[in-house]
Amino acid sequence: MQVEADDVHKSYGDTVALNGVSLSVKEGEVFALVGPNGAGKTTLVRCLTGTTRPTSGEARLMGETPEKTDKKTVSVLPQEFSPPERLKPEELVEYYASLYPAEATRGADSLVEEMGLGSSRETRYADLSGGQKSRLKVAVSLVNDPDVIFLDEPTTGIDPEGREDIWGVIESLADGGTTVFLTTHYMREVERLANRVALIDEGEIAVIGDTEEVVREHAGEPRLVVRTVGSVEDALDALEDGRANTEDGALVFEGVLVDGIGETLDTLEDAGVEYDEVRWSEPGLEEAYLRLTEEEVHE
Amino acid sequence: MSFSVRRIRGEATAELRSFLRKPAAVFFTFVFPAILVALFAAVVGAGGGFFEEPQGYYLPGYLAFVILLTPLSRLSSTVARGRDHRRFEKLATTPLTRIEWLTAHVLVNGVLIVGASVLIAGLLITVGGASLTVSFADVPVVILGVVLGVAAFCGVGALIGAAVSSEDGAIAVSNGVGFPMLFLADTFVAPETLGVGAPVVEVLPLTYFSRAVRGATFTGEPTAGALVILAVFAVLLFGLGAYFLPWQD
Repeated sequence: MQVEADDVHKSYGDTVALNGVSLSVKEGEVFALVGPNGAGKTTLVRCLTGTTRPTSGEARLMGETPEKTDKKTVSVLPQEFSPPERLKPEELVEYYASLYPAEATRGADSLVEEMGLGSSRETRYADLSGGQKSRLKVAVSLVNDPDVIFLDEPTTGIDPEGREDIWGVIESLADGGTTVFLTTHYMREVERLANRVALIDEGEIAVIGDTEEVVREHAGEPRLVVRTVGSVEDALDALEDGRANTEDGALVFEGVLVDGIGETLDTLEDAGVEYDEVRWSEPGLEEAYLRLTEEEVHE
Repeated sequence: MSFSVRRIRGEATAELRSFLRKPAAVFFTFVFPAILVALFAAVVGAGGGFFEEPQGYYLPGYLAFVILLTPLSRLSSTVARGRDHRRFEKLATTPLTRIEWLTAHVLVNGVLIVGASVLIAGLLITVGGASLTVSFADVPVVILGVVLGVAAFCGVGALIGAAVSSEDGAIAVSNGVGFPMLFLADTFVAPETLGVGAPVVEVLPLTYFSRAVRGATFTGEPTAGALVILAVFAVLLFGLGAYFLPWQD
């Protein structure tokens, strides 16, 4: 295992940040950790990277305690990290590369170019756009060509284009066999990038598994929503089969798969129900996340 | 314990670039002390009051001023800002060590303060008409005194930056520590005129910086004792500063 947490607890005074977190991440995996603000994501990253010590339990990175891990092979992009603001992109990449042995680092020039910052070489970090800053922060996290990389909310606060660029970088890291530990608030990001996902809430892992499996088990059924021309109650009476419900003045069919849409609409037509709008949606991780966090709140 | 010249050079280069690109930092290290020297030279030249000693007597005071302004105040704000901007969290996950980080900052500050010292001494001689008794043999003593003073006050700056929760707070505390010290450390005011405050003079690292520099440049008194005590302060404060850098939360 590249990353392991075994019953990790972390408290700050009376505040419990982590309450018995256990997880493991395999080599080459893209693992996403999601959860509400203050759920314990960053504290867990800190425990796993050695910038804080668990109150109890054990964190291991590449088989060692984080403090003893060979730092040449690991990289971390902390949440809200901001590098020295008066340095230019290439200077920043060179600076962080200088902290590793020369033979273990990637060229600043190519990294700046690869991250699409070639036209901003002469611009200081403070004067870059939000998206450029984010890309540069990812670039400085890649200088040592790490085997394991922790990215703590790398796309928060940047525009969709910038986000897309960073997703591309993470995908190429994964293709190259790098283990990626990602924390994020964007479920689309998880669905696109992560092999596995864990939801953390109030310092505890609420669910962990393959991304598709978590969606399947927790997101709910696909839904077909039909807006009728006439009264929705009349339509419901006309159907007589009890398959539909009403919601916000529309008929709702739960559990209709994409190849069952035609059959459902045929049933409506046979019953003489006229409609002017049909919407079908398949729930994703967003819905699973909302359901799971709602359950936690109610519990 | 690893110690890498490459890492220290990388950190020092980034810090020097950051310093040179911040006009306020350059102003307060070179221009402001020059203005101060010119103003004080006029006051000292007029004689009377506290300033009854010859111009050369006050050189350690001027140098102490830049040491308190740049290594102490600037380093405290650098550490506080570095923590706020999560820079130490990033550095802690690289092979760079706390000692290497602080060594790089002592080197950069040492070069800057030696440069500022040359400027101040030159102004004191040319504008203030001071007569300094510096021989070639004294130059290494002054440089050593400056470097040890810088190391000691970089350590204090790191301690303040680590202890205080905001950058503004760190600057306020470092000024609160530095300003009284400027007048209590045998710099501008002779200890015997301080009355009940006189014993404090002997426990301040700046006192030994002041005595070493004054011995080498003005009175000709032996400097070894002051340099040894200053070195002990430098090692102790540097070590404490490095240890308490916010590498972990």
